[in-house]
Amino acid sequence: MHWFESQLAQLDTLADDYLAARRQPAADIVNVSEATRLKRAAFIDAVQSVVDKVVKIEGVSACAAYHDGLILAQSAEASNMDADAFGAIIQETIRAAQHGETSLGLGEIEQIVIVGAVNKLAMLSVGPIILCISSPKGVNLASVLSQAK
Amino acid sequence: MSSNVQFLDPRKSQNNEIDSILRNLMNIQGVSAAAIVDSDGFVTHIHRDFEINTDAIGASVQVVFGAAAKAAQHVGHHLTNMVICENNDGYILSTPIDAGFILALVTQREALLGRVRFELKETIPVLKKLFTSYLAN
Repeated sequence: MHWFESQLAQLDTLADDYLAARRQPAADIVNVSEATRLKRAAFIDAVQSVVDKVVKIEGVSACAAYHDGLILAQSAEASNMDADAFGAIIQETIRAAQHGETSLGLGEIEQIVIVGAVNKLAMLSVGPIILCISSPKGVNLASVLSQAK
Repeated sequence: MSSNVQFLDPRKSQNNEIDSILRNLMNIQGVSAAAIVDSDGFVTHIHRDFEINTDAIGASVQVVFGAAAKAAQHVGHHLTNMVICENNDGYILSTPIDAGFILALVTQREALLGRVRFELKETIPVLKKLFTSYLAN
């Protein structure tokens, strides 16, 4: 498993832990509330950490995480990008892909890549969020992400 | 003979947890106040990092939320789950909890709206249960 795969696997585990904590019976609501809050914080902190690491990889121009088309985590370097426009495109793209999920029998959408004449954008579904990575068109994203440490 | 059993006050532990939830919301980047407002517009719990007129914010949140909820009903959208006021210098997000209580967050402009909204959406079901239990005790 290469670096980026291991990061995604870790995020998936944390997301699963959080979702499991949320499903606990609410007999002891105070303890359930605290446990859920801590698991959610662990997941979100890990997402922010991955975003911060990915954006430092040579060839990657921006990285951010979105929830329902609204920005959830972004790197300090990417603060000048139009996060709202990015989010809107992501939301539209995910919605279009979800039509294929049922009509083409694709299963749950895991990744979407849009390649433009200038740049490309990869969207990866991780638990309740979408992780977005952008790079110039010529960059082999899979390769740079797998070689990162 | 004295008993070794200690009776814990459930309301106290629930109240502490509500405070912890507000403190947690305050830890999100850009959030400057987190308050719970009752149905009369009075602030029952608040955490903030700047001077704020609690009476004014409580009353305003109830008025804005009430107006938005009425607008939603007029267009057939039924229940209002969240009202987001986008202002020049930040956002005010308000979400209903239970029995007319509203959770309101005040943020600076640099707050990540998706982060704040995600946290609110995930927090509300727990707060609802805490309030149901709190009001029942």
